[in-house]
Amino acid sequence: MNHSSFNRSAYLYLLPALAIYGIFVLFPIVQTVFYSLTDWNGLTSPTFLGLQNYLELFQDSVFINALLNNLAFIFFYSVLAIALGMLFAVLLTGAPLRGMAFYRAGLFFPQVMASVVIGMVWRWIYHPQYGALNQSLRAVGLGAWARPWLGDFDWALIAVGIVGAWAQYGFCMVLFLAGIQNISSVLYDAARMDGAGIFQQFWYITLPGLRNQLLVALISTLIAAIRIFDLVFVTTRGGPGYATLVAGMYLYRNAFVINRAGYAAAIAVLLTILILVISYFILRLQRTQDEESFA
Amino acid sequence: MNRFVCSLLAVLLVFGMLAGCSPGAATQQPAEPAKTEQPQQATLKVWDILVNPTEDEVVRQLIAEFEAAHPGVKVERETMTFDQMKSRAKLGLSAADGPDVAQINQGYSDMGALVAADLLVDLTPYANQYGWTAKFSPGIVARNSFTPDGESLGEGNLYGVPITAELVGVFYNKEHFEKAGVSIPKTFGEFEASLEKIKSAGIVPINYGSLDGFVHIHVFAEIQNLNIDRAYLDDFIYGRNNVSFSIPANVEAAAKMQEWVKKGYFTPDFAGIGYDDSLAAFRSGEGAMMITGSWVSGDIIAQAPGKFGFFLMPPLEEGGKRMSTGGTSTAFAIRKGAPNEELAAQYIDWMVSDRAAQLWAEKGIVPVGKVEVQNADPLFVDLLKAWAYLNENDLIGHYLDWATPTFYDTLVASFAELMAQKITPEEFVQKVEADYAAYLKSRNQ
Repeated sequence: MNHSSFNRSAYLYLLPALAIYGIFVLFPIVQTVFYSLTDWNGLTSPTFLGLQNYLELFQDSVFINALLNNLAFIFFYSVLAIALGMLFAVLLTGAPLRGMAFYRAGLFFPQVMASVVIGMVWRWIYHPQYGALNQSLRAVGLGAWARPWLGDFDWALIAVGIVGAWAQYGFCMVLFLAGIQNISSVLYDAARMDGAGIFQQFWYITLPGLRNQLLVALISTLIAAIRIFDLVFVTTRGGPGYATLVAGMYLYRNAFVINRAGYAAAIAVLLTILILVISYFILRLQRTQDEESFA
Repeated sequence: MNRFVCSLLAVLLVFGMLAGCSPGAATQQPAEPAKTEQPQQATLKVWDILVNPTEDEVVRQLIAEFEAAHPGVKVERETMTFDQMKSRAKLGLSAADGPDVAQINQGYSDMGALVAADLLVDLTPYANQYGWTAKFSPGIVARNSFTPDGESLGEGNLYGVPITAELVGVFYNKEHFEKAGVSIPKTFGEFEASLEKIKSAGIVPINYGSLDGFVHIHVFAEIQNLNIDRAYLDDFIYGRNNVSFSIPANVEAAAKMQEWVKKGYFTPDFAGIGYDDSLAAFRSGEGAMMITGSWVSGDIIAQAPGKFGFFLMPPLEEGGKRMSTGGTSTAFAIRKGAPNEELAAQYIDWMVSDRAAQLWAEKGIVPVGKVEVQNADPLFVDLLKAWAYLNENDLIGHYLDWATPTFYDTLVASFAELMAQKITPEEFVQKVEADYAAYLKSRNQ
C-alpha cells in the first residue's frame, strides 16, 4: 500500500457501509456477549450472572457431547468434502471429454440446492423401507447392511455427515477447478518429460499449486462444520438420543424452545470464539507458508 | 496481505451471523392509545397456526362470516407453522403493533412465559360473559389457566381458548382386523392378544415411525394411563405435591414398550422413519393400527373413506375408565394492550361458536364443543364419541412433555435409547426423573 497517496476523506465513503455493518453486525455481537452474561428468558429483563452461563456450559454433558459431534462433522464437511472436490476437479481437468460442461454443472449441482431441500431428499434416500440406499443394498444382496440410517445410534452421525460432504464438495471442486487452470501447463509438460506419472504430477504440481485454494476451502468448510444446524434440523433434529445433536441445534433449542436466551447467547459466543481461533491458526499457517515460499 | 483481510472479513461476517441468532432486545413499548373508540372501523390482527388446507378453509369461511356480521371490521390474518409461532410469538406479542389475537401453545415455556411477562389478557371475565367454560370439562379449563405470575399452570386465570379437540388413541385398519380375525378389544389383555394375532397373520400390528421423536410419548402415555389416576397425572404435569416420575407404573409402561419392540409389534426399522412418511404408509394400508392423535383423521377420511376406525386404549379390566392423552388445539389468547380487546374476545367467541363447531365437524375435525353430525365417516363418528366420553368424564389426559420446559427433549432422547434397547426401563425412568426432579427443585427455590 502506498502511504503517501493516503487520503483521509476515503473514510467518509466507508461510513454508510460501516453504519450498516455496525447496526446489523457489530451491535448484535456486543448485545449477544452481554446477554451471555445474564439469565434471560427472551422476554423479561435480564439478570446479570457474570460468567455463570459459561461455567455451566463446561459442565453440561449435553453441550460437550454436541461440541464433540461438531468435531466429528469437521471430518465430513472438511476432510471428505475437500477430498471429493479435489478428486472431481482433477478428473474434470484431465483428458478433454465430450460433454464436460454437463459433468461440471452436474457435479456442482448439490451446492446450488437449499440445505432444507438436500435434507428432505436425503431423508428419502435413507428411508429404511423405500429409500434408494436400502433398496439398492437389498437389490445387490446386501440386505443385511440395510438399516434405519438416520435412526441408528451408531450410523446417524455418519449418515448426516455424508449428506454434509455431498452438500459441501461442490464449492471445493469449483475452487480447485479455478486453481488448476491457473497452474501453468508447462510444469506438467516438463514433469512428463522427466517421466512423472499421473500421481506424481498430482502430488508435486497440482497439490502445491492449489495450496491457497486448499486453505480457503479448509476455512470455509471448517466454519460450516462448526455452525452446522440446518441439515441436522431437517434430517434428525439431533436424534436419536443426542447422537447427532450439534452446538447450533442446542443453541436454537435453548433460545427459542426452552427460553434460555442467555445460555444460548453463551453458546453463540463460545462457538464464535472457536471459529475465530481456528481461522486464526489457519490464516497464520498460510502466512508462514507465504513467507517461506518468498524466502 | 490482501487475502488475509478478505479471509478475516469472511470470518467476521460469520461471527455476525452467529450473533444474529440471538433475538434482539424485546423492549416493551406502551401500546398506542386506541384512536377514539370506534370498533366499527377496526382492523383485527390475528396470528394462527391453522395452515393445514382443511383448517385454513374453515377459518377463512368463519372470518368471512365474522366480517359480514361486524361491518367495518377487517381481520388481518397471518398464518404460520407451530414451530414458527413458537419462535415468533414472544417478540410479536411484546411489540406495540403486535397481533391482537394469537394462537399460543399451552405450558410453561410458551403461555407461562407470556403470562409472566404480563403480555396476555385474563380471559376469565369473557369466559363468563360468553359461556365458554360450559363447553369444556374442568381439565380443559385448567390446562389453559395460569396464576398471574405465570408460575403455576392449572390454576388461576384463563389465558387461552382452544377451538378444536385432540385425542390420542388407536386408529385401526378394518380390512386388516377382518383378515386377522380381530375385533375391537375390550381389555388391554385382549389388545395384546390381538397384536400377536395380527402379527401371525403377516401384518405389522402397530405402524410406527419415530424419526421425529414425539410418537414415543403418545404410545408410552397410552400404556401409562392404564395404571395411573387423574390426580397423579395432574400433579405431575402441574408440578404439584412433589410427585415423581419414578413410579412402578412408568417402569412397567417402559418395559411394555421394549417388550413390544422385541416381539416385533412395531414397523421394522421404525427409528429411521419420519412421522409423515409413517402416516402416509398407514393411510395406504400398511400396518393394522397406529397410535396417534385425532389430527390425522381429516387426511385419512379424505384418502380412504370408511376403511378406518378409532378406539380408546382399552382398560385393564372390562368397563374400567379409559383416560387418554388429549387436549385441545393450542389456544387463542389476547395480547395485553391490544387496541380492540372487546373485538378480539368477540372473534374468539366466533371461533368456538356452534356454527364453528359445525364447520369443523363437517371437515372431519373434532371441535371442542358438542356437535351432531349426519352422514359422517364412521372413523369420525368414533372420534366424536370418544371425545364426548373423555370430555364428559373429565378423563382427558396430558401431553407428558408439558411437565418441564426441557421435558420434550429429555423424553425424546431417552425414549430413543429405550426403544433401541440401549437402556433398561429402570434406567429410562431414572433419566426422565432426573429432569423432573431438577425442575421441581428449581421451581421450589
